[in-house]
Amino acid sequence: MRFGDPRPDGRAIVYAQIQADPLVARAATQLEAATTTQRLLARAAMNGESTDPVVWRTMFPTLFGPSAPPPGDAVRDRSEAILVIALEVAERGEQTRSQFRGAIVEALTERLLAARTGPVRRERRILFDGVPAEIHPYDVTVEHETAAEAWDCKWGARGIKADVLHQLDDARRHAAGEGERLLVGLVVFDARRSSEVRLVRERGPIALEGLKLVALEGLDRLAGRKPT
Amino acid sequence: MSATVADLIDRALGGLDVLVATAEPVSDEWQYITDLGIVWRARLRAVADQRGSEVTPPATAAAIDELVAEAGRIADPHRAIDWLSTFPQVALAALGEAG
Repeated sequence: MRFGDPRPDGRAIVYAQIQADPLVARAATQLEAATTTQRLLARAAMNGESTDPVVWRTMFPTLFGPSAPPPGDAVRDRSEAILVIALEVAERGEQTRSQFRGAIVEALTERLLAARTGPVRRERRILFDGVPAEIHPYDVTVEHETAAEAWDCKWGARGIKADVLHQLDDARRHAAGEGERLLVGLVVFDARRSSEVRLVRERGPIALEGLKLVALEGLDRLAGRKPT
Repeated sequence: MSATVADLIDRALGGLDVLVATAEPVSDEWQYITDLGIVWRARLRAVADQRGSEVTPPATAAAIDELVAEAGRIADPHRAIDWLSTFPQVALAALGEAG
């Protein structure tokens, strides 16, 4: 088993520009240290209709209401920063914000994994002897010599599709066939409950025991931390 | 008059119904839409069963009302599908519940 760069194509070149946008890095930085409710705020506001921050502050009383930490508190300041960034994403228009959201989940995953292990890489293929390479690269990989990982990142549970599950499962089985250990999983910036609903429907013949599911409530597990 | 948790769950369930109706034109996701409706309604009703008579602070009622209003503003069926998952999570967070 070895890792390699995919052949560059038009989609990848366009998407690389989104990934390099400073807004993606700002979002990932704030979300890395965020609580579950702050991450939920980001998810809701990035995908909402309203771009008035008052609407979102009202909707999240535990972050902005009378019992929330006061302005100037680090947690409150992060909530405000996340709201500003989320609304910046929301104002980019439907097509663009969809790409930004995906890039943000990948950048966040990369940062959280890097807090636990490494080296962490983006957009990489995994190659096995005698097996044709998959067309789609893995979003984030951990290329550790004895504990490699491959993660596919999804903004929402609806992005979980049978072909994604098959690709991850194939990689895990091919690695095992070569006597290597490869942890494979999905990072979904959505509720675990919804992700499980989707997984059960899309899994087909795949045994889910070999697949890690990290949903919005458990993202800190990627970093080896307990969820907050 | 202050709203109870049961009152707010009723309002949230109404918002969820609106999202299901908005999402329904995406026929190839019908089963997923139905499944999400079932599991999240059950989760919200479980909170009402446990804490229904509890009186909530005004900020919580305002949060649920704003959330339901936001659900009503969503016209795109694909976004409504995404919100079928987001909506109950936000409602639960406002009520101090885990997802």
